[in-house]
Amino acid sequence: MSQMLSPDMTIAAEAVAKAKIEVKNLNFYYGQSKALKDITLSLPERSVTAFIGPSGCGKSTLLRVFNRIYELYPKQTAEGQVLLDGQNVLDRSQDLNLLRTKIGMVFQKPTPFPMSIYENIAFGVRLYEKISKAEMDGRVEQALKRAALWTEVKDKLNASGLSLSGGQQQRLCIARTVAVKPEVILLDEPASALDPLSTAKIEELIDELQADYTIVIVTHNMQQAARVSKQTAFMYLGELVEFDKTEKIFTSPREKRTQDYITGRFG
Amino acid sequence: MAEHTVAAFDEDLGQISRLISDMGDLAGSMVGGATKALLNSDNALAQRVVSDDAIMDARQRELDDRAITLIAKRQPMADDLRHVVGSIRMAGDLERIGDLAKNIAKRVGTVGLTATPRDLSHSIDAMAQLVLIQVQGVIEEYAARDAAALAKLRADDERIDVKYTSVFRELLTYMMEDPRNITACTHLLFCAKNLERIGDHVTNIAENAYYVLTGTQLPANRPKQDETAMSAPVA
Repeated sequence: MSQMLSPDMTIAAEAVAKAKIEVKNLNFYYGQSKALKDITLSLPERSVTAFIGPSGCGKSTLLRVFNRIYELYPKQTAEGQVLLDGQNVLDRSQDLNLLRTKIGMVFQKPTPFPMSIYENIAFGVRLYEKISKAEMDGRVEQALKRAALWTEVKDKLNASGLSLSGGQQQRLCIARTVAVKPEVILLDEPASALDPLSTAKIEELIDELQADYTIVIVTHNMQQAARVSKQTAFMYLGELVEFDKTEKIFTSPREKRTQDYITGRFG
Repeated sequence: MAEHTVAAFDEDLGQISRLISDMGDLAGSMVGGATKALLNSDNALAQRVVSDDAIMDARQRELDDRAITLIAKRQPMADDLRHVVGSIRMAGDLERIGDLAKNIAKRVGTVGLTATPRDLSHSIDAMAQLVLIQVQGVIEEYAARDAAALAKLRADDERIDVKYTSVFRELLTYMMEDPRNITACTHLLFCAKNLERIGDHVTNIAENAYYVLTGTQLPANRPKQDETAMSAPVA
């Protein structure tokens, strides 16, 4: 029988990778209802981590804690620690605007602003930086190139962002996120409303972006999680059931609940 | 194991399991038939083994088709994925066992014409029994999902290797004693080599089956006791 690569080698390589986000004993409540139960995990820097699990398992909630976007809604509380480079983002003293420039987010449905393609990107940059028109032009071009959209829109930068196709709109949202130079990008079902070709482009983009950013993706598409991520966390009923290297999760998971979910045996 | 939400998925996997089981049964019957035909100079039985190989090939093609269709349709994960990929590989080994059994069967006529095989093939008989037990055992233990038994069965291949070495030496002795034995003994040596190769395919199947059941690989190194390469220069 031919030999498979020793999995130990990848473990050794990953042990060197620095943790970008460390979640420690995190609990989360929607009012009285506990949505996350004592979650502890560590997300390595410049790597893609996928969260999978059935609807309502808490994966999107966990994502929303990282940039504290949950605070936009009443009666939602988080306890525990979420350390970004060692700093607890749940501290009251945390500057939320600064946090959200460091941690960008892209949602399931593309959400371009009702303005031109150019302005969609420039708008966010202007909130944080005062730069010249020439610099802004450069920044817009760079962001669109980074999001693999430049060649498709470079001749119509003044057209409305809403005139683009769904897949292009989603890449515009990624460009908008990248333009403010974040460190972490959160993707909440970024390709679930897109056709296969647009999905492939987003996945290709994720693959390229991980060289510079720490990426966390929530997805219902298990093959997608298997394709794009290095680590996968399986969550169920607010608990972190299993967190391991992606190839381990999808070929021989440790936990029966993980196995049942990914093989389609959940009732 | 719980059932899949999509019942047709279970049916598809079940069909693949049945094909492996059928191919395993057929492999056992071909190996048993080929050695019996060899020892008894039974040409009719040898012919049956030769024609069974076509059935074996057809089963393997059917399994390949079903496995590839299943992967395309259902994108199996974890134990399901291991089951499908492992089955493709096990079917390849079973098909090769069929080929080797057919090869033994095709020699029956030639050996029978030149000598009384019974006199020359005492130790081949014992070796064939060991091989047959392994072929039947691997399919039974896989069906019983007994990983520990599969690991033991894989290690037991060593006994076949030891036996092969002794058959090799015995046949060399017959050839040196009486050159008229050379034709028959050479054919018997090929038969013994085929039996030894069948044993190797059984260990491959055991390794695959173990991986399918546990998700972990057996250690790469298995003791090897085939010393015929070392004794060859002596001849």
